[in-house]
Amino acid sequence: MFGRTKPLWDTGPELKSGYDAVIIGGGLHGLATAYFLASRYGMRDVAVIEKRHIGFGGAGRNTAIVRANQRTQENVPLYKEALDLWPVLTRELDFNLMFNNCGNLNLLHSEAAVNAARMNIATAQFLGVESHLIDARQAKEMMPALNISEDITYPIMGAMYHPPGGIVRHDAVVWGLAKGAAALGVHIHQHTEAAAIESRHGKVTAVATSRGKILTPRVLVSAGGYSAAVIHRMLGLRLPISVLTIQAMVTQPLKPLLDHVISSGAYHVYANQTLKGEIATGAHMDPWPNYTTQNTAYYVKHQAEALVEILPCLAGVRFMRTWAGLADMTPDMAPIMDGNHPLEGFYMDCGWGYFGFKSCSAVGKYMAQYMAEGRCPEILKPFALERYEQHRLMGETAALVSYSPDN
Amino acid sequence: MALMITCPVCGPRNGYEFRYGGEDKGPRPAQRELSPGDWFQYVHANDCADGIQKEWWVHRDGCGVWFTTYRDTTVNREVPPPEEDA
Ligand SMILES: Cc1cc2nc3c(=O)[nH]c(=O)nc-3n(C[C@H](O)[C@H](O)[C@H](O)COP(=O)(O)OP(=O)(O)OC[C@H]3O[C@@H](n4cnc5c(N)ncnc54)[C@H](O)[C@@H]3O)c2cc1C
Ligand SMILES: [Zn+2]
Repeated sequence: MFGRTKPLWDTGPELKSGYDAVIIGGGLHGLATAYFLASRYGMRDVAVIEKRHIGFGGAGRNTAIVRANQRTQENVPLYKEALDLWPVLTRELDFNLMFNNCGNLNLLHSEAAVNAARMNIATAQFLGVESHLIDARQAKEMMPALNISEDITYPIMGAMYHPPGGIVRHDAVVWGLAKGAAALGVHIHQHTEAAAIESRHGKVTAVATSRGKILTPRVLVSAGGYSAAVIHRMLGLRLPISVLTIQAMVTQPLKPLLDHVISSGAYHVYANQTLKGEIATGAHMDPWPNYTTQNTAYYVKHQAEALVEILPCLAGVRFMRTWAGLADMTPDMAPIMDGNHPLEGFYMDCGWGYFGFKSCSAVGKYMAQYMAEGRCPEILKPFALERYEQHRLMGETAALVSYSPDN
Repeated sequence: MALMITCPVCGPRNGYEFRYGGEDKGPRPAQRELSPGDWFQYVHANDCADGIQKEWWVHRDGCGVWFTTYRDTTVNREVPPPEEDA
């Protein structure tokens, strides 16, 4: 009724028998890599192969939080660059990514958490990222709805305030990148499943798909939560990954009350208010690996209990919608980005757990460089798979997590 | 449906009484001449099967026993052992 709809990108290119590069997974990382291959490296003969529709995976399910206040000097610069790229991409793609630069408040509930935050803040400041320690009173001034009383399960002692972070509209990122990549000649093939990677003499030669074979010298697996299973099935390569369902939900819309993204490790909860007024909130991952992407009463209840302790005004507010996706977690909470191993021309970008949205802009840029030049960019070197075998795990988490016994 | 796990001692119980203990990777490799690669395979690497996998559980809020069982990770249901393993 409001005129004809016009697709944002070419949705029906023919599947050619060969491409310079094939990207498995039409999620954030696959589309970003394709876009940067075409826009920065002149490699336009690229196919993005997506089993369902673009944005089907974590890309369309995440809670859209972006920030650059990680723990280690290897990770922070990557996330900082990702933050800096949102306005650049908004301009370049001529598509409003709706970066709501509202800042993040990470609540601290113990002396140990305050000390850990001090280290993160020092790292951030050293690397030119704004981040401050504030006390409970200051947090309350910034967010009057916050409950800073002593009589909750985990009283709030302070917060790590990180002004440059916030929220980016995740669907817009998917659509904007698809539009931008397609305009430069990238073929996006939806409803096409990658089934196998073929090789000869240790070099990638083709990708077998549900719609036929594609000859190519290079392939990237960026299949999000499905990457570990896909890579194991295709190449027999076992990765240090556990795949768990992670749940999220939104309340009914409310008047503005949360000016910042808030998160709490102790309560295993984070929340932000969407531009529509809903409180979007997510939590910890399921306690055992699974691919169900189902919600459970256990987490809906947990979420309600946790939120009402820190934001008592939410008592009685209803959840309107729940959903879930997959988190592919590594033991050191840092991703795996690698290439030319075990096959020349094979690249992988996975293990992004619940932090692969905030990184996708910068990672797409560097994975594109990796694939175009065949050499690992300096910034990605610490993320190679071999670090696990060499006992050089990254310190993104203070203690080694295992999604097996200790979760 | 919520996950039910069958404890060899207590029988079928609610999954939240248990703690997941990782994919079954067979016996711990011998310490002597253990290569970093083999240790990595045992400690960190997983199959991440989207389907049936053999895995460890402990009846944490129950009798405390460790045991292995099979579960279909796509539907989160315990399943009987496959033929060759029964
Ligand atoms: C509930 C939830 C909340 C989250 N919140 C945040 C957040 O606030 N901030 C943040 O930074 N991150 C968040 N994340 C994580 C983030 O969404 C992911 O890390 C990110 O989507 C990973 O991007 P990707 O491109 O690698 O994979 P995805 O976006 O998952 O895309 C992978 C694609 O590969 C396709 N695929 C799979 N197998 C095949 C095959 N064989 N052939 C072809 N295609 C295939 C899938 O259909 C899918 O579309 C959240 C995730 C979830 C589930
Ligand atoms: Zn028992």
